[in-house]
Amino acid sequence: MTGMLQKLKNNVRSRSIHVAYVDTGSCNGCDIEVLACLSPRYDLEQYGIYVHNNPREADVLLVIGCCTPQWEDKLKSIWEKIPEPKVAIAIGNCPISGCVFNREGSYVNPPASKHIPIAASVPGCPPRPTEIIRAILSLAPIVFEDYEEKKQ
Amino acid sequence: MKKTVDVAVPIGPVHPCWKEPIRIKCATKGEQVLSAEVELGYMKKGIERIMRGRPWQEVMFLAERVCGICSVVHNMVFIETMEAISGIEPAERAAFLRVIVNELDRMQSHLIANFSYCYTIEHETLAMYLLNEREHVMDLIERITGNRVNTAYMIPGGVRYDLRPEDAAAVQETLDLLEANITRYMGIFEDGPMIALRSRGVGVLTKEDALRAHAVGPTARASGISTDLRSQHPTYRKLGFEPVVRTECDNYARIMVRFGELFQSIGLIRKALAMMPEGPVRGGGICKGGETRYSGEAPRGELTYVVKADRYGRVEEIAIQTPSIMNIDACAHYMLKGALSIADVTATFISSDPCVACTER
Repeated sequence: MTGMLQKLKNNVRSRSIHVAYVDTGSCNGCDIEVLACLSPRYDLEQYGIYVHNNPREADVLLVIGCCTPQWEDKLKSIWEKIPEPKVAIAIGNCPISGCVFNREGSYVNPPASKHIPIAASVPGCPPRPTEIIRAILSLAPIVFEDYEEKKQ
Repeated sequence: MKKTVDVAVPIGPVHPCWKEPIRIKCATKGEQVLSAEVELGYMKKGIERIMRGRPWQEVMFLAERVCGICSVVHNMVFIETMEAISGIEPAERAAFLRVIVNELDRMQSHLIANFSYCYTIEHETLAMYLLNEREHVMDLIERITGNRVNTAYMIPGGVRYDLRPEDAAAVQETLDLLEANITRYMGIFEDGPMIALRSRGVGVLTKEDALRAHAVGPTARASGISTDLRSQHPTYRKLGFEPVVRTECDNYARIMVRFGELFQSIGLIRKALAMMPEGPVRGGGICKGGETRYSGEAPRGELTYVVKADRYGRVEEIAIQTPSIMNIDACAHYMLKGALSIADVTATFISSDPCVACTER
C-alpha cells in the first residue's frame, strides 16, 4: 500500500524533472538537437522538464558523444555528483556504438555504458528533438515512481 | 608595474552556459581579469587519422561530422576540393542549389550563435524568439535535403535531390516570415538599454589585434576587416556578394554582424531562386588523384581543406583548418585581457561563436 507521502512525492516528481547534459566528444549535432528541445515549438517546460546543466540538482543526465579518454574519470565524477534517484540516457549513436568515430586509429572509448550505468538509449545521427523528449518522458516516471519503497 | 594575481578562476569544462566542454583559466585581480588561457583537448577524436586511406565516398560522411552545427559547409568544401582535384564542374542548377542550402545552414548557425549570446546575458525572451525562428530554417533544410543535421546533400558534380516547385514556394514563403520576424528581433537587440550595458564596449578586439590574432569570419568583420571568401566563389560572384562589415569591435558589433548576415543570406537565397536555370542537378564525373588546397567561408570564418588523393579517389593525406581556433585564440588573448568584470568572460567568449567540436575534431 503506497502511503500518502509517497503518493505526494510521485505526483511532484512526475512534473519536475531536472536535466543536465554532458558532451563527451560529439560532433555537436546532438547538442544542438537537445538545445532545440528548449525552443517554444517543442517546449520542454510544458512537461515540467528543466534544463539546468548543473549536475548537483539534476535527475536525468543526457550523455552525448563517444567518450574520449579525457572523459573517462570526469564522466564518472559527474555521475556521482547527481543526487539519487537518478537516471542516465544516451543520446545519439555515439554513446551507444561510437558511430563513425569508432574506427582503428581514433581516440574514443565507447560505449558509455562501460563508464556509467545507462538506462535508455535514443539512437539516431542525430535523433529528432521529439524523440529526445519522448525518451525522457517515458523513462523518468518508471525510475522515480515509489523510489523510497523500492529502495527498502 | 608588478601584477598581483588574487585568484585564478577556472571556468568549465562543464558550465551551464556552454554546450561543449572547454576550460578557461582567468587570472583575476579583484573583479578585473588580468589574463586568460584556454585549455583544449576534451573532445579530440582524431577524425583526420580515421580519414586517411579511405575512399572519398566514406570521407565525405566523416567530413560533415567534423562539426554538426555547420555540417553543410564542411560537406561543400570537401566536395569542392575533390572537384578541384579531378577537374569536375558542377551542373549549373546544382551550383545554385548548393548556395541555397549553404545559406540556410549559415542562417541556422548564426541564429543559434545569437541565441547562445542572449541566453548567456540572461535575456531569455529574445533567446527563445531566435531559437524558434531557427526551427523554421531547420524545416526548410529538412524539406530540401531530407535531414535536419548531417545532410550529405552535395556530391561531386552536383547535389542529391532537385528542388521541386512547391519546395521553392515554401522557401519563399518562409523567407518572408523570417525577414519580418528577424527585423523585429534585431530592433529589440539594437535598442535594448540593458542589452547595451552588457554588450557595448565589452570585449573589445581592435583592428590591429584582430590582424595579429588572425581572426576570421564575423569576429574579424566586426573589427572592421573586410574578409569573406564568398566574394571569390564563382556562384556567389554571379549573385553579387558584398561582405557585412562593422567597426565597433565589441560584443554588440559581433552580434549585429550576424544579424546583418542573416538578411544578406535571405537576399542571396531569393536571388539564387530567381536566377536558377532549369536542367539536371547531377553532372557526373570521376574523382581522380592529385593534391590541392581549397578554402571556403564557413559561418564562423575561413575553412581550409588540404587533400592528397591517389588515382582511385582514395584520400591519402588530409588536413583541415577550422575557423574557431583563431577566434578562440583572439578571444582568450585579446578580448578577455583587461576585461573589467569576471561576469563578462562567458558572454565575451560566446560572442566569438566558438565551436569546440570543429576546433579539436
